[in-house]
Amino acid sequence: MSAGRARLDLLDPFEVSKLGGLEVVTEGVVEGFLAGLHRSPRRGFSVEFAEHRMYQPGDDVRHVDWKILGRNDRLYVKQFEEETNLRAMVVCDASRSMAWTGSADTILPKLAYAQRLIAALSLVLLRQRDATGLITFDDEVRSVLPPRARMSHWRQLLETLGTLEPGLGTAAEPALRRVVQQLRRRGLVVFVSDLLLDRTLALKALRFLRHRGHQVIVLHIMDPGEVLLSGPAEARFEDPESRAAVVLRPRDWAGAYRQTVESVVAEWRLACRRHGIAYHRVTTDTPYGIVLRGALSTSSRAA
Amino acid sequence: MIEFLHPWALSGLAGATIPILLHLLARREPPTVEFPAVRYLIATTQEHLRRLKLQNLLLLAVRTLLIVALVLAAAGPTVARSGLPSHAPSALVVIVDNSPSSGAVVAGTSRLARLQSAARDVLARATSSDALWLVTADGIPRRGDAGMLRGQLDALAVSPYRLDLGAALGLAAEVLASESRPGEVVLLSDLQASAVSQADVTVPLVVGRPADQSTPNAGIGRIDTGPQPWSTDGGRITVSVVGDSGAPVPVTARLGERPVRQVLASVGGSTVFPPIAAPAGWWTATAELDPDELRLDDRRLGVVRVAPVARVNWDSASKYVAAACEVLEANHRIARGGEVTLGRLVRGGSIVMPPDDPARIGALNRALAARGVAWSYGSPVAEPATTDSGALTGRVRVLRRYQLRPGGSGKTGVLATVGGAPWLARSGNVLLVGSRLDPGWTDLPVSAGFMPFMDALLNRLARGEVALSDGAPGEPVALPDLVTTVRQGERVWSVEGGGLFRPHDVGVYYLEAGDDTVGAVTANLDPRESRLERASDAQVRRLWKGARTMTLDQAAPAVFSSAARGDLRGPLLWLALLLALTETALASAMRRRDN
Repeated sequence: MSAGRARLDLLDPFEVSKLGGLEVVTEGVVEGFLAGLHRSPRRGFSVEFAEHRMYQPGDDVRHVDWKILGRNDRLYVKQFEEETNLRAMVVCDASRSMAWTGSADTILPKLAYAQRLIAALSLVLLRQRDATGLITFDDEVRSVLPPRARMSHWRQLLETLGTLEPGLGTAAEPALRRVVQQLRRRGLVVFVSDLLLDRTLALKALRFLRHRGHQVIVLHIMDPGEVLLSGPAEARFEDPESRAAVVLRPRDWAGAYRQTVESVVAEWRLACRRHGIAYHRVTTDTPYGIVLRGALSTSSRAA
Repeated sequence: MIEFLHPWALSGLAGATIPILLHLLARREPPTVEFPAVRYLIATTQEHLRRLKLQNLLLLAVRTLLIVALVLAAAGPTVARSGLPSHAPSALVVIVDNSPSSGAVVAGTSRLARLQSAARDVLARATSSDALWLVTADGIPRRGDAGMLRGQLDALAVSPYRLDLGAALGLAAEVLASESRPGEVVLLSDLQASAVSQADVTVPLVVGRPADQSTPNAGIGRIDTGPQPWSTDGGRITVSVVGDSGAPVPVTARLGERPVRQVLASVGGSTVFPPIAAPAGWWTATAELDPDELRLDDRRLGVVRVAPVARVNWDSASKYVAAACEVLEANHRIARGGEVTLGRLVRGGSIVMPPDDPARIGALNRALAARGVAWSYGSPVAEPATTDSGALTGRVRVLRRYQLRPGGSGKTGVLATVGGAPWLARSGNVLLVGSRLDPGWTDLPVSAGFMPFMDALLNRLARGEVALSDGAPGEPVALPDLVTTVRQGERVWSVEGGGLFRPHDVGVYYLEAGDDTVGAVTANLDPRESRLERASDAQVRRLWKGARTMTLDQAAPAVFSSAARGDLRGPLLWLALLLALTETALASAMRRRDN
């Protein structure tokens, strides 16, 4: 993928998913994403100089070592110690509810969307030498991939993501607490979930992470069909996880439901903000580039 | 108690179950949809469910009530009136008695004018939902709205027709029988006692009558001009005065424009005027009283035929016939001559009777046929029978007779019948009698009616003339076969002989056969109209069960009170409109909230 070709990061995720496997699509998305940046997304340019490296397109020209350029006529940028020390853990919800899509013909399931989004995010982080790990969970922790900064680690991440199958229930707290074991120092925690879970417990765990000094980003994945209620004239709506059900006519309840969803989102946003947690609601028809930009800008500001 | 005009429409109440059925049907097991965010739905419904359930129940109730209100309105409910300004749609027959007695003038106002005024008041209370009929003395029920019937009332005049009030009530009942609306009859009349007859009253009846009593009245009840025709020597006129006035009254009689004769007559008696002579011809006899409160019965008409007596040859007649002819000759009712021959067939006018010897019937029939007579003698009948009642003979026993057989021209010229079969018939100037005028054949020769019969037979029938008859306006009169036209002054009616003629008004109607006048019908008021005495309220209630008798002024307020029911259709339709608006508002509000 090159910058001159279509910007996959800005295309419809469902259409993008048709172009190839997880790796190809993710690389294309990240390439497009990086090409669109005016400045390098590479962060962590602290005052403690570490080494030089060759200039790459997208690097901030402010970090170009002009003396080397003058001496050798080559472009090098200065890299600092703090940058390489960022450790990120992505916590991915793989519960049964994440496998749902409101329209299989046009919208990716939430889990498939999360897989691609996490893969792209990991690639961006790894490219800037940030150690990135992954924890997946459903009603229990399914897999733990410790954070590593090697590019080859991305293959492992992809493999884990690629073999991810939706589980049963949702229990986020154990997974979030496992993050503590993986991030000994302050790091970045990206929590990707549809948040159809025990809100109190989840917030408690997230607050705990913040208390440990981690930067926390919550990506609230929602299907458009969960935002706007639709369906047959009357239906029995059943939760695939808890099997709780309710019978109603979507047409009668669409307005009230929309208000409820907005209220829930507002509550999450407020609770997160109150504890210094970045919150982003992401619908599965949102291009990845937009989500990445939002998430990374948040982490950049925090750094 | 609620009643319904169209109770069958209540079956539509089953439609009220439609919203409930739809609601129940809609509650069938819906398809299951997997939806992860059910917790949001549950939270949503918990918040709104109670309100929504209430609204849905309200909507269901409003829709059900709307259907119930519409169905009830269609069924036309009425309720016993309790201060409601309107009455239930009703079928009302207004009988206005404009018979001759209504022409009586009391205290300067005619009875009819007061009846009309009361009828207008009744019609003023009718609504457009009422079915209205007006019945007057002509016996024709006229349907229309209040405005139309008011117009007919305004044009109403005193009718020469007598109105039998019992018959009028029967007619009203027939009119109302086909109506689904509650029926009611209002009878506005002077309640003349002689007009009140038994009637089976099955609907509410309001009887309005004048508050004041009737005034004494006298009228000419009958004018008798005696046997016809009169000879040129003249005849006598007998006049009967009827009514309830006790004092003697002056009666005037005249024949055409001949000098007037006047006598003083007592009411309830008859007066014979001195002989009045007149030239041959048809004359109108008139008897008159001085004007009183009821003018219509102060004058009565009769007809007199003046002609020379018949010249009769009765040599070959039986002894009874011969004796009768001699008596008539002695009284100058006939004279000897060859104008009419009794007992045998000759070239001129002949009155033929069957021969004693049956063997001679064939020869007689051949002779009749040779004369071109349309009738002949048929088989003998030995079975005793009676002549049918008629002006000519009355009812007289006939022991033996021959059947009279009509010729090819049909059964015309029948003058008298026995058991419906021709017994006396005429063809041209030949009369055939079915029996010999002998006690062995019939009782007629030994009855009191024999002389008048012979007089009429010789002076009128044998000379081509028919009986004079009396009638009343509106009453049918049977016309003789030979009559082709009826004439009254300049007015002429073409009629069919043997049919019925109904004189439309008081007057003399001449019966004509071609250019010849062969008879007359006089139409005069029914003499009972002269008795103005009013029936008592008790008598009315006894004859008409359930009738409410009151003065004319009280009649209008009493009308519709028997059907004193308020129409609930209006309030129900308003309620339905209100419910429809509520339903629309509720549904719109719910839709807006959902969106």
